[in-house]
Amino acid sequence: MKQKIGVYICHCGGNISDYVDVEKVRQAVIDEPGVALVENTMFACADSNQKKMLDDIKQQQLDGVVVASCSPKLHQPTFQSVVERAGLNKYNYIHANIREQVSWPHSDDKAGATAKAIQLVKAAIAKVRLAESIEPMQIETEQAVLVVGAGIAGMKAAIALAKTGTQVYLIEREHFIGGRIAQWDVLCTTDETGKELVTRLYNEVKACKNIVLFTGAEMIENHGSKGNFKISIRIKPRYIQKHCNDGRLQKAIEVCPVEIEDEFNFNITKRKAIYHNFPSEYPHAAVIDMEHCTRCGECLKICDQINLDQEEERLELKVGSILVATGFDPYEPVEGEFGYQAFDNVVTLPQFKRLVANSEHKLYWKGKRVRNIGYIYCVGSRQTNGDNKYCSRYCCTSTIYAAIKAGEKIKDLNHFHFTRGIRTYGKQEVLYHEASLQGQLFFQSPDDDLPKVETKNSKTIIKVNDLLSLNHSIETEVDLVVLVTGMVPRHNNTVSEILKIPKGRDHFFNEIHMKLRPVETVIDGVSIAGCCQGPKNVVESINSALSAAIKCYSLVSQSHLQVEPIVAGVDEQLCEWCGLCADSCPFDAIHMSQTPAKQTALVNEAVCKGCGMCLPVCPTNAIQLNTYSDPEIESMIQTLASDL
Amino acid sequence: MTTQPEKLNFDVLIIGGGIAGIEAAINIANNGFKVILAEKDLTIGGKMLLLSKVFPTLDCSACITTPKISEADRHPNITIFTNTEITSIEKQDATYFKANLVKHTRFVEEEDCTGCQLCEEACPVVVPDQYQYGMVGRKAAYIPFNIASPRVATIDIDNCILCGACEKACPTHCINFMQADKNYRLIVKSVIVATGFKLFDATKIQRYQYGTAKNIINAMQMERLLAPTRPYNHVIRPGDGRVPDKIAYVLCTGSRDFTVGNPICSQICCMYSLKQAQLLMGALPMADVTIYYISIRSFGKGFEEFYEQAKSMGINFVKGKIGNITEKENGNLILRYEDVASGRLKESEHDLVVLSVGVVPNEDASSLFGDAEWKQDAFHFPLQKDLLFNPSLSNINGIFMAGTTTGPMDIPDAILSAGAASMEAIQYIQKTAL
Repeated sequence: MKQKIGVYICHCGGNISDYVDVEKVRQAVIDEPGVALVENTMFACADSNQKKMLDDIKQQQLDGVVVASCSPKLHQPTFQSVVERAGLNKYNYIHANIREQVSWPHSDDKAGATAKAIQLVKAAIAKVRLAESIEPMQIETEQAVLVVGAGIAGMKAAIALAKTGTQVYLIEREHFIGGRIAQWDVLCTTDETGKELVTRLYNEVKACKNIVLFTGAEMIENHGSKGNFKISIRIKPRYIQKHCNDGRLQKAIEVCPVEIEDEFNFNITKRKAIYHNFPSEYPHAAVIDMEHCTRCGECLKICDQINLDQEEERLELKVGSILVATGFDPYEPVEGEFGYQAFDNVVTLPQFKRLVANSEHKLYWKGKRVRNIGYIYCVGSRQTNGDNKYCSRYCCTSTIYAAIKAGEKIKDLNHFHFTRGIRTYGKQEVLYHEASLQGQLFFQSPDDDLPKVETKNSKTIIKVNDLLSLNHSIETEVDLVVLVTGMVPRHNNTVSEILKIPKGRDHFFNEIHMKLRPVETVIDGVSIAGCCQGPKNVVESINSALSAAIKCYSLVSQSHLQVEPIVAGVDEQLCEWCGLCADSCPFDAIHMSQTPAKQTALVNEAVCKGCGMCLPVCPTNAIQLNTYSDPEIESMIQTLASDL
Repeated sequence: MTTQPEKLNFDVLIIGGGIAGIEAAINIANNGFKVILAEKDLTIGGKMLLLSKVFPTLDCSACITTPKISEADRHPNITIFTNTEITSIEKQDATYFKANLVKHTRFVEEEDCTGCQLCEEACPVVVPDQYQYGMVGRKAAYIPFNIASPRVATIDIDNCILCGACEKACPTHCINFMQADKNYRLIVKSVIVATGFKLFDATKIQRYQYGTAKNIINAMQMERLLAPTRPYNHVIRPGDGRVPDKIAYVLCTGSRDFTVGNPICSQICCMYSLKQAQLLMGALPMADVTIYYISIRSFGKGFEEFYEQAKSMGINFVKGKIGNITEKENGNLILRYEDVASGRLKESEHDLVVLSVGVVPNEDASSLFGDAEWKQDAFHFPLQKDLLFNPSLSNINGIFMAGTTTGPMDIPDAILSAGAASMEAIQYIQKTAL
């Protein structure tokens, strides 16, 4: 039982003291049993107050500390560090949240807010009286990182980590690396092509001896947690051995009777079931698409290096940290959305980019000459009715840049942009200006009155009520409609379920804190990079990749990691192993353990987050949570209830 | 008085202790490297520490910045120098840089100052407070603001009348008028420039009357009015202290504007204006808030939803560029603008105007590098030599850039860019060590 407790009550510069009478709180708790000192402070987190706390603890030999201020999410580590520096175990400090839980929600009732603050501070004092010193747990770390996804973000992160000497496993679900950027032509704003950028990254990946790259590799299972992930991967075969003669392989491709749409070109061209991924093919090795292969055997007659019976491999990788860079999918418009699939001259922005990349001098679509192009913006983004409320960020700039570049390559094009307000943020603004100077025309439709694509006398017409010209109804005849499709999260991305990464309202992966921790997730040891977290352009993806890389590196650069000891513990005597605790655990931290005597629950302390979900379900009360023991919680409840 | 510079060795020198510099410092220090964080201001925390709440989460900015500041402050691998300027940086070879620093005197012994503010009370001199953007005064002996780090006093010698009142008042005798600037010579392996941005100076657009009309403020001043360390406990207009009830925001002040030499979009103004408008709806429930805009650019994660929220709260949006502003005798302001919806020139009266000023480059670092030329892009931001492959690399190998040094960006992007710069710096150090 603590005898000398110090209590610090924060004004938060008015955030608290405007609504809570902090002096009254001070007086109300000063005679609580065990309290030696109560101080009010303008900013508890400020250096000067930290210094004062430190001196108080040392000079007055305080054995417990309560800080009543903002949410412990913000400053718990700050005050834990203060008590530690003063020589006290950090679990002898208890936090009372009198801002988020008192002053902000009860700003209309100052007396009530003050009364509630008093109760919360008293409860914290009750808890600290019973607090016990516990030591953090140490876990050994695997000094390797798994990078999931070999697009530009994944490759950049892998290279950076490898250059620090870290062992990196880079897995890519597709047979070819490069992700979406491999499919892009010239990139904004350096004129480097997607192929060139991917080539540079791939060459660096290959030059790093400590990167092991697996293509056609998918994560299927995870056992483990921060410091010690054990990840199982499945590697799909290519069905073609390494030492295949190029000429013969080419012939094998020619004889393949299967023709399907080539997803590399967003289905505007065809490929065979045995195929290369030109023009951006890394690794340079053909592959058989077994989903579409009919096993007719024609290719086998030509090339003896083809083996249709190759089997998938499974591997287990041990890593200390995981970096997820699984990218995005372009939004796929629904049938009839702005004429998509209803008219044969409506394409998406990615298709248009592949079309321009594959064209010279003149632009043709389905055999017809294209001169007038209408771009319809925000398709699949900023939906007023649909699910995608967000702005996809990259598309305005990407479209304008694509239009400028198409105009440089093909001289006789006219560009009509049907926008909802152009968002060429930052330096990208100059592209908008340049396009305007070139005579490209921009229209803007109201958010609730979007453009319509129709046919009139076998011509395609885009109709819009233009905000920029007094809402005049304008009809424009175009040869090709380009739907500026936004970004959506990758479909059937199983990584999120395996690693339990939470998703936001926009269905992209969610970071811990949007402002200050944009690449870390609530799953310790797992960081996210690139467009799997939300739409980004190339530069933003690279920056996020490197940020995620340094967070991973911080975990694996040390041989041991400290983890919070606030975990559940099982009393083997009391446990009857009914499994209810394991079912209630959201982190998969509890498993059955077979001892010679009986079956009991066993908590994996490295995975346990101390959420407490398992406590109330236990029928024999065999589980306790460190620092949240029944006596501690009961004493708090008693205090909270006593003065009511 | 000249003294021999003290010699110090570090792995990385970070110039600028704003949020990007702090984030980069923590990243590097967490991996066992020694960092010196040099800040020319009296406190670290940069502009973020002075903001009210941040979009789109409406987190209290000071509250989420101070944990980072504390972390940097107590980190055993981070040395923080405030009130410090870099005078030169020379690249020696592929492995190290020499840098000269001058730590300006505060005329206060930092270790002894308890931040009691008795000197501040005693000081008879009042001058405009730069941390409140001139809206209130401060003393010549002062602490920048409550959550400054370090929270120690400084004597503003340019305005000090040498009366000695502060010396007498100081209980720890830490005021020392003989204290001189201190010079340091650093050997570092890599440098990160995180010198941030400057706000567009709205006096350059004379037809907006900033600086002459009393009730026109810039958005940073509105941030201060709304912040927890605010100068008054209310939002009032500076001209006469009245509570405004018809507030206008003028977006793109100094951005997307060739006439002031800044053709680019500042990337943050739409969002901070939407945020301030929402906060004002809370602080002044009866007030009308109108945002005059060219196009609203709510492009980041959660931003479009934030814009929708602003619209649903009843904030008025008028598409049209403000042509000029004139002041009436009662201090109200007449805004003349092109109303795009009706195609007509219109005028409207407001009692407080907030200019949403843009981001312009801070070119302070450009003169530091001697023979090694520090190149800039077309907009006077430092050149990103390999934009798509290595965005944080400057045109000098081994010198990286973080945050708004390279262009306008919001806080998450600044954090990401700081992450990139720190990762590149670590790679660079380890490569050159081989």
